[in-house]
Amino acid sequence: MRCKSVAPAMVPGRRLNYVLATTIVLALGACEPPRVYRMPVPPSNNTILGPRVPQTPAPIPPSPPAEVARKPLPQETKIREQDLKSRAPSANSPVRETKEPTRQSSINENRATPESTVAPAPAPPPPPLPDDSSLLAKITPGISPQRAASLRLTDEGSKLLDAGELGKALTRLEKTIVIDSSNAYGYFYLAKAQYRLGRYQQSLNFLDVAESRLSGEPFWLAEVHALRGENYRALGQGQKAESSYLQALRLNSGNHTAADALIRLQAETQPVNK
Amino acid sequence: MGLIKSKLRIFSLSLVALLVITSSGLVFGAWYLKRLENTVTEKFEGRKWAFPSKIYSDSYLLYVGVGIRLEDLAEKLRRLGYFESLAEPRAKGEYRIAKSDNLIEIYLHDFDFPTERFKGVPVRISFQGTVVTRIENVATGKEMFSLELDPELMTGLYERIWQERKVVKLTEVPPLVVKAILAVEDERFYSHHGIDPIGILRALWVNLRSMSFQQGGSTLTQQLMKNFFLTDERTISRKIPEAVMALIAERKYSKETILENYLNEIYLGQRGSQGIFGVWEASQFYFSKPLADLTVGEAALLAGLIRAPNRVSPYRSAEAATRRRNVVLGKLLDDRIITRRQYDAALREKLPQRALVKVTNDAPFYVDYLRRELEENYSNAELTKEGLRIFSSLDLNMQRMAERALVEGLKKLEAAHPALRRKGDDSLEGAIVVLRPQTGEIKAMVGGRNYSKSQFNRVFQAKRQPGSVFKPFVYLAALMFGGQSGVRYTPETIINDSQFTWSYDGQDWQPSNYNNEYFGAVTLRRALENSLNSATGRVAQDVGIRRVREIAHRLGIQSPLPAVPSLALGAAEVTPLEVAVAFSTLANGGVRPRPLAVRNVVDQSMQLLEKRDVRSQQVISPQLAYMMNELLKGVLDRGTAAMARRWGFTRPAAGKTGTTNDYKDAWFVGYTPDLLAVVWVGFDGQSKLGLSGAEAALPIWTEFMKNATANMPVTDFVAPAPIPDTDDGVPSKCGPTLPDGGAGTNPCPPAAVQTRSTSDAL
Repeated sequence: MRCKSVAPAMVPGRRLNYVLATTIVLALGACEPPRVYRMPVPPSNNTILGPRVPQTPAPIPPSPPAEVARKPLPQETKIREQDLKSRAPSANSPVRETKEPTRQSSINENRATPESTVAPAPAPPPPPLPDDSSLLAKITPGISPQRAASLRLTDEGSKLLDAGELGKALTRLEKTIVIDSSNAYGYFYLAKAQYRLGRYQQSLNFLDVAESRLSGEPFWLAEVHALRGENYRALGQGQKAESSYLQALRLNSGNHTAADALIRLQAETQPVNK
Repeated sequence: MGLIKSKLRIFSLSLVALLVITSSGLVFGAWYLKRLENTVTEKFEGRKWAFPSKIYSDSYLLYVGVGIRLEDLAEKLRRLGYFESLAEPRAKGEYRIAKSDNLIEIYLHDFDFPTERFKGVPVRISFQGTVVTRIENVATGKEMFSLELDPELMTGLYERIWQERKVVKLTEVPPLVVKAILAVEDERFYSHHGIDPIGILRALWVNLRSMSFQQGGSTLTQQLMKNFFLTDERTISRKIPEAVMALIAERKYSKETILENYLNEIYLGQRGSQGIFGVWEASQFYFSKPLADLTVGEAALLAGLIRAPNRVSPYRSAEAATRRRNVVLGKLLDDRIITRRQYDAALREKLPQRALVKVTNDAPFYVDYLRRELEENYSNAELTKEGLRIFSSLDLNMQRMAERALVEGLKKLEAAHPALRRKGDDSLEGAIVVLRPQTGEIKAMVGGRNYSKSQFNRVFQAKRQPGSVFKPFVYLAALMFGGQSGVRYTPETIINDSQFTWSYDGQDWQPSNYNNEYFGAVTLRRALENSLNSATGRVAQDVGIRRVREIAHRLGIQSPLPAVPSLALGAAEVTPLEVAVAFSTLANGGVRPRPLAVRNVVDQSMQLLEKRDVRSQQVISPQLAYMMNELLKGVLDRGTAAMARRWGFTRPAAGKTGTTNDYKDAWFVGYTPDLLAVVWVGFDGQSKLGLSGAEAALPIWTEFMKNATANMPVTDFVAPAPIPDTDDGVPSKCGPTLPDGGAGTNPCPPAAVQTRSTSDAL
């Protein structure tokens, strides 16, 4: 099911933006279940694994609880966050044809069963992730000299980027991946540099590489998605931008870039939705 | 009466003839003078000098933890024009090795990098074994974690001769240098008007007395005219126009203008193919310092060099240079330009014997390639006259290693197989190209065994059949798309290695194995490791040649590929550079790099004209690339390239041998995560080589890689992060940021994705 975005009224204050952004995330969360990551099979293992596919479709859940006092958002009645297994597409929303059963089947089975008659209140938004942006903090004892040098150069490159010295920043950052090609942060900042230079497609390319080299770092993956969103927005691809921002916020609700950008994006599209 | 009349007549005719001759002479003289005047004016007021462009190698980044031997660092410094000092370096351009303390002290040069101006500082670099453990700024005591050494000057782009100069104004030249030059070359410069009769007479007297040419009587102005316009011959026919032009120049221009041009024009030495012109360049060349920092002794030597720069060069003989300097110092003292005290102090200055580092083009094939790239954006005039500085990706160390490996490797092959020894144009040839997969930078390029004999660059100009080097594309296509029969290929899929016939377009194709030996049921892994033709053909048939072509193009092969079954065994023509790019994509986790030679182009005023960045694109999933790398590691560990291990190359690496069916081409492409090299061996005239890739190309590759990676850390291919599902279950690496690919198809077509979703292999 394609979940349409909602456009809350603009309110001042960054804190309120977070609340709104996370509320939007929750509201849309019913359509966007968390990703399930699969490990590639090692070459010697010939086992074929498949996704967990349910044998029977889930029944349609009842209406949401009445204690939600705020004005319902346009698509809210169509979204069942707590009962994702039994989620049914609305008659009015465009439905993706083939993947519903697969996605439903991969959901955490501890969620509410289809038999419950009262939908529970939306879960509080997950707290923002702690700030993991310091590259120098990743230089720990035992780290290889190449990784240490690469991280330091990346840090230098990011500072040059912030100072607006794009040419110097690019030169530094290109050296980081020469010294250590597994340095995902180097690729991330290369992507950022390309974005600042207006080379959005190349920025996206570098983000793909950064993402593939990041492992178990939701803070940085959120940064990747947020920057991806910025690139898509610059390329005029609003839907992809929104999707990327949402993904960033799912990974880290405290991602400023995604939160602010989402609000701006939705404000831009609000007149159309009205 | 008649006699008188005839005599009168003769007289009149003679007068008329004389008048005609005189008039003609005057007219011709006036015309000639005018012509000379125009020539002088054009030169003084137009463009006086052409400034060749300079090509630099990549800079070298030194950082804490990098592996490099102290001796190698010293050698690098020497090639950069640094001089070894026994004492602590006090001037820019000096270094000292303290071997007992395992450290080296360097007073770094100033250098204008493409994006920043670097001011030299004194640094101290400590080693533990062959690893840098500390870098310290001696002036501030602060620790540095990295340091970029300036790139090496490789060669220049010029017409006819390379005149290296930097133009300075007269006011930028220290008065002592000017006075010293005038004292030695033209002490009556400010008195004469272009030619100096007294000087000519004195020179004549001196030369007659010694019965040899001891002195010239030319003024500074005459010397300038000679250098600007005329050849070096000492004949009357050259001397006359030289004198006339000198008079013209003195009439039209001030003494200061003439002097300034002279100081920038004069020839002052040679550094290999590079001529040193002008006082600024000479100051850098001989003393590694700006003009303003020259001592009295150094200024005297500079003036003394003008007459015979190569004969009294301190690079040739410190004693000869010292003798000449002392003569000039004596003249300066006599003329009261310096005091006795200055004279005595200057005499005590010791001129060290320095080794000349010549600028020789050590990478002519690479420079040719670079030039082709540059000519897309710059005219020949711009390249040879505008003084551009071109920074490239080349690693000169690797370049020398690559050249040595190729040349020695071909010689060894000829020694071991005398039938390969040919005379004339069809001698055994080879090519080697080295890339850094992460960035696409071309680190070395050798397009043939002897550039002076053949400038044909086989790295990017020679299209040859890759043979078995093409097979990885078949297996990659199988792993990515699966078979049309429905088979989901994995490294353990069993393939039938036996004879078969592939019929297409009314023709039959029957691949045959080496020695007609067939192995029956083999795993995909084994079929690739042992380069089995028949098994490969079967896989290609199942996958479809169209898919194989698509994968090859996606990875970086740009040449057209025929849609015929034999393509599976490399029946197409490609260049070594394309092969390098394609396999770099695998080495780089599925990210295709753009090959880079030109990195930056800067003009004389330090304006950055062009910057070529690293560009890359994820073209296959990192998981798939990792799987292919693991398979191709088997080629070196157990397969057709296993001899590399016995020859001493033990690092984790992947590769593929390549031999064409008719044994005309021998290839090896091999790579670590950080470095890739492709070697090709064969005859330009398509004669039969008779050797496989493992026999002919692999030894050259092994020799090069052993040397090139000697001080690099040992790295292995890193398993990528797990594949996330996207909203519709499509692995995100098949998302919209991936390109359409050369064949215009989605890299992860739904059919393959659906079948792949049932297999975690991808």
